[in-house]
Amino acid sequence: MQISMFNQTFELPSDVLAAWIFTIIAGGFVLLYVIKKKKLPLIWDYIRTTNHRKIGTLYILFGVVYFLRAGLDAVFIRLQLAFPDQSFWVFQQEKYNEVFTTHGTIMIFFSAMPILLGLMNVAVPLQIGARDLAFPFLNAVGFWLFFFGALFFNLAFFVNQAPSIGWTGYAPYSLNEYTPGVSTDYYVFGIQLSGLGTIFTALNLIVTIFRHRAPGMKLTRMPLFTWASLITSYLILIAFSVLAVALYLLMFDRLFGTAFFSGSEGDPVYWQHLFWIFGHPEVYILALPAFGIFSDIIPTFSSKRIFGYPTMVVSLALIGFLGFTVWAHHMFTVGLGPMANTFFALTTMTIAVPTGIKVFNWLFTIRGGLLRMTAPMLFALGFIPSFVMGGVTGVMLSVSAADFQFHDSHFVVAHFHYVIIASTIFGIFGGIYYWYPKITGYRLNEKLGKWHFWLFLIGFHLTFLPMHISGLQGMPRRVYTYGADEGLTGLNFTSTIGAFVMGAAVSIFLWNIVITHRRGVTVGADPWNGRTLEWTVDSPSPEHSFDPMPVVDQMDPFWYAKQEKRQLAICANPRPAPPDEQSMIPISMGLSLFVLAAALTYSLYWLAIAGGVGIFVLMAIRSWTDRTIIEEEEEA
Amino acid sequence: MVLKRFTLVPVLLMLAGCNITVLNPKSATGKDQAFLIWFSFGLMLIVLLVVFFLFFRFVATYRYTDKKANFIPEDVHGNKWLELTWTILPILLLIVLAVPTVAITYNQSPISEVLKKDEAVQIEVEAQQYQWTFTHEGGKTSNQALVIPEGKTIRLQLKSKDVIHSFWVPALGGKVDVMPHKDLYYEIKNPEVGTYHGKCAEYCGLEHAKMIFTAKVVTEEAYEQYVKE
Repeated sequence: MQISMFNQTFELPSDVLAAWIFTIIAGGFVLLYVIKKKKLPLIWDYIRTTNHRKIGTLYILFGVVYFLRAGLDAVFIRLQLAFPDQSFWVFQQEKYNEVFTTHGTIMIFFSAMPILLGLMNVAVPLQIGARDLAFPFLNAVGFWLFFFGALFFNLAFFVNQAPSIGWTGYAPYSLNEYTPGVSTDYYVFGIQLSGLGTIFTALNLIVTIFRHRAPGMKLTRMPLFTWASLITSYLILIAFSVLAVALYLLMFDRLFGTAFFSGSEGDPVYWQHLFWIFGHPEVYILALPAFGIFSDIIPTFSSKRIFGYPTMVVSLALIGFLGFTVWAHHMFTVGLGPMANTFFALTTMTIAVPTGIKVFNWLFTIRGGLLRMTAPMLFALGFIPSFVMGGVTGVMLSVSAADFQFHDSHFVVAHFHYVIIASTIFGIFGGIYYWYPKITGYRLNEKLGKWHFWLFLIGFHLTFLPMHISGLQGMPRRVYTYGADEGLTGLNFTSTIGAFVMGAAVSIFLWNIVITHRRGVTVGADPWNGRTLEWTVDSPSPEHSFDPMPVVDQMDPFWYAKQEKRQLAICANPRPAPPDEQSMIPISMGLSLFVLAAALTYSLYWLAIAGGVGIFVLMAIRSWTDRTIIEEEEEA
Repeated sequence: MVLKRFTLVPVLLMLAGCNITVLNPKSATGKDQAFLIWFSFGLMLIVLLVVFFLFFRFVATYRYTDKKANFIPEDVHGNKWLELTWTILPILLLIVLAVPTVAITYNQSPISEVLKKDEAVQIEVEAQQYQWTFTHEGGKTSNQALVIPEGKTIRLQLKSKDVIHSFWVPALGGKVDVMPHKDLYYEIKNPEVGTYHGKCAEYCGLEHAKMIFTAKVVTEEAYEQYVKE
């Protein structure tokens, strides 16, 4: 379909048209709901909030929305690959390339990351007895940067300019010469913006965990989810800085004619190094928080403390550290030579050791326990065998000579979906079921939760197990079709069925949320018979939590207090809570950078300058009106 | 329903036995790689089975029943010896895996200076969006069809005219990237007669999926004749 506007003709493919129609109708319904239920004041409140639970909720909400969008991309991919030489709707060539690019990019940057950050936002302060993150204002800025980064990236599709460079954005294909036009710029600026927000949030979490623990909450008594969040934050700090550098260089190459990744001085392999120095730790940024979630869920529903707590912490740190030494295992075939290849093969193998330790420690936490099969526990248990299946293919991939066969085939697709879905996605679902009472005051329906789990587990294995074989059968990744004579038909069709089963599972999850809120049965502070401090505060957690402030005398303090039928001791003079405030500045900052990004994408430099000036003006306003500084001065 | 997943494992093994391209390689290079795949898979299967066994045993034994409603499990802080066991055993297992990994990786990485002296069949591979050009010694060129002699060492010199591509004939061996800024080398040793699918394995743009070719391994005589044609 063609549309004429501003004296220009735009090509509007049917998928984009469908998305516009769907969005307008769905948006209309949401608007109607908001007005009818008088939710506008609530939205107004969330726009200005700096409270950790509310920001966490926003992170999770938008993360889930983008999860659905990227999940729909996955369904399109599977439909296109269901049969050999198939033509499903528009998803061949350019459209197929766009859809796998947006699937990967959105799932990682705009779904998994924000949902994990959201869970950290909700749970970390409550687990350590902090009343909020150390810098609530910065927290809000971080969220709005994510929000506008994700919005920017997703808008590309609506103007039919979705990037098609793969989530890895390899140069020179991502350079101007091969992808002219604005689509790749949407990728560059969308990720840059939200990545900046992620760095802020990581800094915030580090300071919070070091500075705002309840009295007696030594590092050695901290819940493992908080430990995982701490180590993840350090990984984010380093890895996302590298990503920011890589994206800046790509931006300069694309917009201002530099040649970092091409020409006689530049080298496309530089991009791969930078990208994977970010990209491999990113895998652990996604996995470690999930490990943390499982390390809290498993003891809770086994009624038994975690087996080998010190080893669990050390292995988290080791995985995080080793994660920075393995990046070139993504580059075995680019000709780095046998020396580099064997080095990175061996470092990669070593990661299996701390990961294995964790798996066995989880198993021995279960041993001798009393396992309550609740929805969060099912996800934690389902994680163990599924994740180990992904882990062992990871070791197989580390065998550098064999990787020449595995590399960029569907075997790799199977491997990374096994590890990421089994850890991150199971962790996210488990975490949402687990902390839902802390976020909303309601507990999600257990029966639907179990349906959700089993369908998702079956669908997941059905989708990705056959891909190991289709990879070894010779199917490269990122191809939109394959021949009928290649022995790939049955495998691909099975994967497609699996994708629909997963889709059904996610629909049950959404339905669960709807009916839980419709029924509106609230639960108390401690619906799961929990062990850690978050279960001592009300559900949902109040804005002024931990009043009075508890004193922590051991690990799992709440559990042992309940066992001994005593109250937690109380501290009379707790550390001052971080300032609680409401402000329009964070969202305005996000908006200014959004304007800057959009302007640079379309080379409207006067507008870019306006956006840049805007951000500095907002910083200045903030500096003059920061209530915390003013109050401190008054006290002095 | 847990059992459903279990039944998939033998299915996978069965499938693996029959006709999977990479596991039935038609060259010495591919056979070394298939050996590593089977070897690492075997080692990892040990890990997988141990974890599965413990997991299903523990879950079955310790799950909540109404009989145990008032049971409060005993706290176990950890166990130094057990934890040492599952630290050291995996390290040993990985050392066993590391030895052939290093050996075969070195063995399969051609070093360009050495290459020029020996008696391999040289073929230049040039990739560009979305086609392959093969140039044989003596200047014979062909598109989309690679013809090589059986039983020899085939040395590929690969270069791209535009973006990064990757040369892959699953039946003959692993892939090697085709870079725009420098030549890479790859050797396929002792290929067997047959016609195989070849593909581009690095995403390179619009028609990446259609950037395919055929690799035909022929007898030495047939090859001589082909080059002269």
